[in-house]
Amino acid sequence: MHLTESVHRPLSYGKAINEALRQSMELCEDVIVLGQLVDYKSGVFGTTTGLADRFGPGRVQDFPNSENLMTATAMGAALAGLRPVVVHQRFDFMLYSLDAIANWLGLWYFKSAGKSDMPVTIRAIVGKGWGQGPQHSKSLHAWLAHLPGLRVAIPATADDAKGLLMDSVFSQTPAVFIEGRSLFPMTTNVPEKPYRVRFGQATIRRTGCDATIVAIGNMVPIALRAAAALERDGIQVEVVDPRTISPLDTATICASVAKTRRLLVTDPGWHSFGVAAEIVATVAEELGGELKAKPVRVCLPDSHTPMSATLEEQYYPEETALETAVRRMVRL
Amino acid sequence: MNSSTVPPEPMGLELNHKTILGLGRYQALDIDGMQAETLAGLLRQMLRLRRTEEAILHEYHPADEIRCPVHFCIGQEAMPAALSLLVEAEDYLFSHHRTHGYYFAKGAPMREFFAEIYGRVTGANQGRAGSMDISHEASRFYGGAILSGSIGIAVGAAYALQHRHSRQISIAGFGEGATEEGAFWEAVNYAGLRRLPILFLCENNRYSVYSDQTKRQASDNICERVATFGVRARRIFGNDAALTHRTLQLEMEAMREGGGPALVEAYTYRWNSHVGPEDDSDNEYRTVEEIAFWRQNCPIRLLEEKLTAAGRFDSVRRENLESEIAAEIAENFKFAKSSPFPHIDDWRTANWNPASPLADRLLETLTESEFDQYQAEAKLAPY
Repeated sequence: MHLTESVHRPLSYGKAINEALRQSMELCEDVIVLGQLVDYKSGVFGTTTGLADRFGPGRVQDFPNSENLMTATAMGAALAGLRPVVVHQRFDFMLYSLDAIANWLGLWYFKSAGKSDMPVTIRAIVGKGWGQGPQHSKSLHAWLAHLPGLRVAIPATADDAKGLLMDSVFSQTPAVFIEGRSLFPMTTNVPEKPYRVRFGQATIRRTGCDATIVAIGNMVPIALRAAAALERDGIQVEVVDPRTISPLDTATICASVAKTRRLLVTDPGWHSFGVAAEIVATVAEELGGELKAKPVRVCLPDSHTPMSATLEEQYYPEETALETAVRRMVRL
Repeated sequence: MNSSTVPPEPMGLELNHKTILGLGRYQALDIDGMQAETLAGLLRQMLRLRRTEEAILHEYHPADEIRCPVHFCIGQEAMPAALSLLVEAEDYLFSHHRTHGYYFAKGAPMREFFAEIYGRVTGANQGRAGSMDISHEASRFYGGAILSGSIGIAVGAAYALQHRHSRQISIAGFGEGATEEGAFWEAVNYAGLRRLPILFLCENNRYSVYSDQTKRQASDNICERVATFGVRARRIFGNDAALTHRTLQLEMEAMREGGGPALVEAYTYRWNSHVGPEDDSDNEYRTVEEIAFWRQNCPIRLLEEKLTAAGRFDSVRRENLESEIAAEIAENFKFAKSSPFPHIDDWRTANWNPASPLADRLLETLTESEFDQYQAEAKLAPY
């Protein structure tokens, strides 16, 4: 049966993650879930709810507040044949495990000369809004994408969340899976069957000929709203969602910019030294002389996240920021 | 006695790196009841490791064909030798940066070891890892340079073994320096919590590079601290190969029967500098008397003298053993030196496995995607 024959139905991003985990655990008994509070009813914002009841405590394990060990445990378990999914309620807590990730996980395959795999998936949730503040809202996805040997997904839709997560679980290369908490209630049509979305394949969310917006993670819906507003003024924007930043589908991005010859990159990470800079640099190397306007980055300010609601409004770029930047590029 | 408390010291002495120097010549090595095969195996493994290390020391400079940091384990042969006789092929073994003894303990091949430190394509890791980071997947042996990182991975292997009700165990070898890392205590806590089949082997050689244990640790009581987590902990004189073997045997057999985690702290000493063949005594971190004590209590000499006195070893056997080991080392040097150097054609596939056979089998690919951007994002209230 082809996937197109599968029933598609609206499912939220959070429920799609839950479904991906449940189906992965049904498909393969080696899949286990480790994380703080994963076996409680609330289930990490609903994403692990019901798994412990269904698969038992042996496969769905609460874990001590030892993030470094949790990642290392997943690695050793993977080495011995399991396929662990590690869950962090907030990306910020994952930072305790940077030794395990940078010194060991990403290195393992290279160091073994291809003889040893580490099929580990790390889920990290990034908060946004309602005063999450500086230690519940960081997204250092660029740090992770900088590391060789590690794949990094940052899905913007429910169907991508399910497909990329299942691809992570059943592939041989470790992956960090970054989930925007603000996206959790948003729905798309999600096939009921198990499926994969392949890493390194961007998708064109909207076609246009005047400018390209490359939007990462939770900037995708914002970029699409900006594109809809700009269309009312006759400006046709193409929106590219890379879906994974490592590997990064530079071919799709460059093909779009070759057509529009204008580039804006919007990333829910800090402005400097980030994914946006990497994408602008790649396009500059490929197409520098052909651009009609200077490329633009719309990212978070180079500042820690503030708590107060008014400061949050000032801090997080919305569609108006994208619209203004595109109008300026198109007029030049 | 609670199973997790530290047993009485073997010599009725509070064992630490200061009191140990008062032992003089160690007299307590006891071979009664041990099989001839075990004793011969211990001696052979220790001598093979010693001669290998000496050969590398000799070859290192000025040839400079071994171009990676090498941490020699001369003086610390007893633990890996004892382990080599007890570890099973399906067990997992993770080692600190002083890898050589553990590599051989797991039965990984000498030719791939030499080729690795010579940076050749025939090496265990095709010249990507070197002495500190060498691993041998087929032997389930994994080295690593970062102090305690591999201890947590060993915990994970133990987790999977327990999950599958296996009788195999996971072993983590490290120095006393690694116990200063938070990762170590995370590992001990979790091992105790879940009663994981993991054996922590702590070779306490007193110095982290030059720094004395008591300069770094509030108290030199690793065993007592570990025991509070419900992990059995024993402290031994680690240059006594027979005692080391008996202790590991006891712990490993108990562990295979579901006895839960254990730690063995073996007091031992490296004769050479922290790294490389160069002398690091300019740092004046250890005394002539201390070095003399440990050389006098060489683990090979202690066992050999005991066996000889008992009429179970002699100079003829010694010569045979020496020539057999020398031939093996010479042959493997030759193999390494005549092996080609590696080349990496594609850096990406060197770091990533592009194949995903399980995903290919289980999952179809979704290509289409649609999205209504007018949905509201989450308001996280009232969280």
